[in-house]
Amino acid sequence: MASVSDAELKNMTQEERVTALGMRTEQLTGKSLYLEFDPDATENFTYPWAPDVDFNKRTELDCDGKTTTEVNSSIRALMKEGYGTVVLKNPRGMHSLGVGILSRLNLIVEGSTGYFAVGLIDGPNVRINGRVGWSCGENMMSGTILIEKNAGSTFGAAIRGGDLVCRGSVGSRTGIDQKGGTIIVGGDTGALSGFMMQRGRMVVCGNAGKNLGDSMYDGTIFVGGEIKSLGVDAIEAELTDLDKAWLTRKLTQYGLMPDKGVDHFTKVVAGKMLWNYDNLEPSEKKLIL
Amino acid sequence: MADGDLPKKPALARDVNRIGNSFIFPPAVMDDIHIKSELGRYRMRGFSLFKKIPHWDDLTFLPGTLTRFVIEGYREKCETKTIIGPRAKKPIELDIPVYITGMSFGALSYEAKTALARGATMAGTATCSGEGGMIPDERRYSSKWFYQCIQSRYGFNPNHLVLADGCEFFIGQGCKVGLGGHLMGQKVTDQVAEMRSLPAGIDQRSPARHPDWLGPDDLALKIQEIREATDWQIPIQLKLGASRVYDDVRMAVKCDPDSIYIDGMEGGTGAGPHLATEDTGVPGMAAIRQARKAIDDLGKRGEITLVYAGGIRNGADVAKAIALGADAIAIGHSAMMALNCNKDIPEANYPEEVGAEPGYCYHCHTGRCPVGVATQDPKLRERLDPDAAAERVYNFLHTLTIEAQLFARACGKTYLHSLEPEDLAALTMEASAMAGVPLAGTNHTVGIADYHHL
Repeated sequence: MASVSDAELKNMTQEERVTALGMRTEQLTGKSLYLEFDPDATENFTYPWAPDVDFNKRTELDCDGKTTTEVNSSIRALMKEGYGTVVLKNPRGMHSLGVGILSRLNLIVEGSTGYFAVGLIDGPNVRINGRVGWSCGENMMSGTILIEKNAGSTFGAAIRGGDLVCRGSVGSRTGIDQKGGTIIVGGDTGALSGFMMQRGRMVVCGNAGKNLGDSMYDGTIFVGGEIKSLGVDAIEAELTDLDKAWLTRKLTQYGLMPDKGVDHFTKVVAGKMLWNYDNLEPSEKKLIL
Repeated sequence: MADGDLPKKPALARDVNRIGNSFIFPPAVMDDIHIKSELGRYRMRGFSLFKKIPHWDDLTFLPGTLTRFVIEGYREKCETKTIIGPRAKKPIELDIPVYITGMSFGALSYEAKTALARGATMAGTATCSGEGGMIPDERRYSSKWFYQCIQSRYGFNPNHLVLADGCEFFIGQGCKVGLGGHLMGQKVTDQVAEMRSLPAGIDQRSPARHPDWLGPDDLALKIQEIREATDWQIPIQLKLGASRVYDDVRMAVKCDPDSIYIDGMEGGTGAGPHLATEDTGVPGMAAIRQARKAIDDLGKRGEITLVYAGGIRNGADVAKAIALGADAIAIGHSAMMALNCNKDIPEANYPEEVGAEPGYCYHCHTGRCPVGVATQDPKLRERLDPDAAAERVYNFLHTLTIEAQLFARACGKTYLHSLEPEDLAALTMEASAMAGVPLAGTNHTVGIADYHHL
């Protein structure tokens, strides 16, 4: 490296090396991605441009005879008018329902939806009384989604935050590329759940299919029932008191707490064997990490 | 030398007793095997393919003489306006037919990304976020900006999606078709890692398949979802690596995007397995022709834009790609060279820092870019002055445009996009077969009985 010599680096601690090599955010001139919120603030939990909605102002929207675009633009129009609780009637398996809502809203869907239900959302609290198709809650940033019945495959693909809860069973590849937040499944999950998971937590109260947590980078999976098989580089870890307390809190919150408690849960984490190549060529030699 | 002795003949430079040299196993191949048998894995590198393939140099223009008349080279107007996604409510309107393709923040430094954005804006054209999410300053500096929806979804944020002028679905890249992105741990600083929600310092190998859809039927629904999230305003572009181009593009058209982007095998990468770079994909001249045919066969000419990228070095390449059927051109590799890639700048000491001479550096993957482009190291990044670099990017984009205009005018076109395959001839049999244009000096297009009726 250009700035420090190898000899200097050898005598440093890991923390000092990281700083000396300029790997710290403050040393990089790029600015932070996110709007910073003051942790002590009690107000201003929304973006300044978000519509000002009142949760007590409630309305119903009948989806019958409407296209997805009409329904979604009606939801936006209602939010602009200040409606904070919107009930969707007769969704009849519509795709892409309620996607891209980027502010607070209580959304209640009375029925079942198709693919990509409430994907790309940041903030709303959603309750779906029926079933959902593939990729429900895809790339969700924050908020909660609660599904009363079963969900399709790739449930919560690439989610980055919030709570995504399905009381029933879900298909395969649940939480694929999960980058944060929490996925809770009351029933069973299919094969390759938690595939390439990066961060966050996934809780499955029932059984998990084969190749659970395959190639996961990081994050934690809790399974209450049987695990058919673990994927590459997914390993079992010890369930700590902290985990049990967290599980109890989360499962109680969504009314999914098993009668026998949470002690029987199996915890699965990344083995971290796939993080780096085993060997490097001389030109690729890393000085740190 | 005593008197009367004959002068001694100098020894031959070659060993006359040697029976021959292996063509299959030259020393470079043997060295590669030696290194790999130590390493135990494929070798990584940046740059694009090293081997020879039929390329733009194998085509030539047939300008106007007496059968066509030419447009006055330096005076008469030759329009270059380019529209991506004309059906969208807000199409992307570019002043020039070339824009800067997606290269991630992480692979490139902050300075390089912003310099590209500023240079492109000066030239009246677009940039693209690449993998790994948006850096706000790139969006700020870009007048037209594509947001990439890539397999890994690193840093994908709906709040950033609504800021985009276009959304590009990354389905494959020409340099390593069928593979996900790579970013070696040396470049995964804590900022890059945080943007991608990864542990810092890992050798990141991105997924090659999207998490939430598998085939074209799902993709059609996914496109609808993005359209809903962006209120049906912005064009949706599908980026495909060139492989079974005709069938792939037919499927892509059925998914109803606004634009299809084909990446030829000449395309570059910041890090990829050497062999994937060499041995995947289809050359651009073949890919453009097949993609054009697929779009036209489905009656979508003028509705779905065809963007081409891969191995574009100068205005002749731009003009040739447009003549073969591309509506717009994206560049990555050559734009990085405009930033200084492989230039022997005074601050850099190539042999000591990366172990290669300037002009031969392909070490983007090591994160030790001596010119501060493909690195996250703050000391190396200081070597790139973003102001001067932005100017160079603008100059290069402008040069590409006037060079391309030069060929259009010579071929008698007042609109750059009026160039057509009929304006080209091939210099080799291979190029003739792939590009579907006649071999120079003949009426024979390899593989086609009558080229006038393709």
